[in-house]
Amino acid sequence: MAEPTAPGMLHGDSPGLRLARRSLVLVALCIVLLPFADLSVVAHDPWAELSRMATGLALPHWRELSSPLQAIGLTVSVALWGTLLGVLLGFPLALVFFRSRLVRTACAFVRAIHELFWALLFLQVFGFSAVTALAALAVPYAGIFAKVYAEILEQTPRDAADSLPPGVGRLSRFIYAELPLAWERLAAYTRYRFECSLRASVLLGFVGLPTLGFHLESAFREGHYHQAGALLWLFYLLIGTIGFWGHRRLLPLLTLGSLFLLGPWPHVDSGLLWRFVSHDLWPAPLLDGDWAGLMAWLGNIPDLGPAIGNTLLLGLMGTVGALIIALLLWPLASRHFGNPATRLGGRALLVGLRSTPELMLAFIFLLLLGPSMLPAWLALALHNGALIAFLAARHADNIEPGMPGLPAGGRYAYELLPRIYPGLLALVFYRAEVIIRETALLGMLGVATLGFHIDSSFQYLMFDQAFFLLLVTAGLNIAVDALARRYRPREVVMDDPCSR
Amino acid sequence: MSDAELLSLAGEDVGHGSQVVLPRLSLTLRTGERIALLGQSGAGKSTLLATLRRRLDTDAAWCPQSHGLVPQLAVYHNVYMGRLERHSALANLWNLIRPDRRAWTEIETLCGELGLAGLLRRPVARLSGGQRQRVAIARALYQQRRLFLGDEPVASVDPHQALRLLALIDARHDTSVVALHQRELALSHFDRVWGLRDGRLVLDATTDTLTLDDLDRLYPDADAASSASADETAHG
Repeated sequence: MAEPTAPGMLHGDSPGLRLARRSLVLVALCIVLLPFADLSVVAHDPWAELSRMATGLALPHWRELSSPLQAIGLTVSVALWGTLLGVLLGFPLALVFFRSRLVRTACAFVRAIHELFWALLFLQVFGFSAVTALAALAVPYAGIFAKVYAEILEQTPRDAADSLPPGVGRLSRFIYAELPLAWERLAAYTRYRFECSLRASVLLGFVGLPTLGFHLESAFREGHYHQAGALLWLFYLLIGTIGFWGHRRLLPLLTLGSLFLLGPWPHVDSGLLWRFVSHDLWPAPLLDGDWAGLMAWLGNIPDLGPAIGNTLLLGLMGTVGALIIALLLWPLASRHFGNPATRLGGRALLVGLRSTPELMLAFIFLLLLGPSMLPAWLALALHNGALIAFLAARHADNIEPGMPGLPAGGRYAYELLPRIYPGLLALVFYRAEVIIRETALLGMLGVATLGFHIDSSFQYLMFDQAFFLLLVTAGLNIAVDALARRYRPREVVMDDPCSR
Repeated sequence: MSDAELLSLAGEDVGHGSQVVLPRLSLTLRTGERIALLGQSGAGKSTLLATLRRRLDTDAAWCPQSHGLVPQLAVYHNVYMGRLERHSALANLWNLIRPDRRAWTEIETLCGELGLAGLLRRPVARLSGGQRQRVAIARALYQQRRLFLGDEPVASVDPHQALRLLALIDARHDTSVVALHQRELALSHFDRVWGLRDGRLVLDATTDTLTLDDLDRLYPDADAASSASADETAHG
């Protein structure tokens, strides 16, 4: 006689169980594929290196910095004008976004390529100039703004527009009954994107533009950790005080003033530019119409398969890692756990990890652990996990537990997690697209993803190959985004555009 | 002339798109009539008003139940929106930056009559519910049409104010169709009642032939409540 048993834990058709199964499949897939990833620690003494870095961060040498103000000025100017140009390009596109498949496709394409890859591309034409820096931010941001603005405008309540008298023109309707209703959300998103652009502007230093990242990278690479520590503090200070110097009333003044800090302006040879766009970017056999030659050209691209495989694998590992880190870290910043001191510490940790760009984190881990997938994985999981944890904690803070006085474990597992998990998982799926884009980028640090081959193709001036790999990267990114969109939890409306 | 038909429906299916809410509806609206539209929520009042609005097009001023105001804009701009189609887009844009002088004077007078004096510059988001209702009415009056269509335009004001607002609406329109839930007001202030119940026009009569009891039959919940109390009496 069979004993009565409780039903299996994962059987059933409730939305919560569906999400649990979905997450477990993702984790299991990651574990099965993990042996294919190169996770060796190559450095001989990572702990000594780590302690030297920590000392550098604890005892920054401010005096050794050469012209930090100039670097900060350029960083802010590029971020401001990059965002502004992105808005100017993206806003008109947002108005036709849902009506034009061409616009949607073009936007998806420019979004799918990371700012730094755009910088590498523009670098070939405009050199180390302000045009390269601005275009590298403005082009992908135009695509992002077009999409997010269009979504925000689409969600504006229709009541006001519906109650207008018949015969009101399109423009009048827009400026009276649509734009004012969406204004606050548009402004909030633009502000969030400006913060992103500040981080991206710092990163432009990694390809040689003289922003803050340039000094950071060289200080780290040369082992001047006290100097690197000072620069890192400057960076956090800049991000942390954005509410003061980036105040709404100061912005117009800042925008005008920063125009004078931008530079140098390049001398553009239009003949060379045309040659680059019409000739250098395309495989020679394609331009000649030689199909057999094109096949041979494709065959000559080194390690295309493994590079795509590594990119996808690292993307999966990064997504799962972010999920696990977020689950572990969110209670640190939530009012339901710990005391004021631990919460302050937890919040500082999360904000710190969230504000540090993945590339910089990966770079630091790379110096510690040597070149493998491990530093990249850690960086992706920590940065994105902390970002999601922070939003999840904010979400949890709005929840009033039904049974006060439960022990912390019970509160976590029974009261809070079931309520915030759908939102948290939705954020993880949103971030999957960002993670795969960053994954490609981390190749620039030597991880064998697509970015590694893009970077080296540019270095060997094989522009046709670099451009082809960029297209592959963009395609991969769009595919992953579509996949994540398909499996994203739909039961929740945690629609904060500022999480993308 | 006063009997001229403005609009007539003869057994038409009325609804949104392919979804029929009021099947085979017949009614006639004549110039000069003041009609109260009664019925439980969900009976089809808003659907009928939307249909009238569509048919009457530019003849009708429209005051929706949701007010349709833009909370971020000032009272002045919200009222101005009633005549948005009579100016060029450029003039409308400029008016957001610098109010048009003539429109300002007109709207100032209008708002004075509605008890909104001195609030022209205030964003609608910072008004009380009753004030918003009056802004919505001001916008409808500013449209200057011959006919007024209102979906619960006096729902959130006190009875005295409701009378005053209805008088203002009457003074500026020769015909009106107003959805209400105050039955007494329907009898005292309107010429005719259209009563909807379960998607049918069950009552179409002049108010001088009607009593409050006739109107009560439009509300099935009131039936239930009265029969429940009747049961109680029977058992008690």
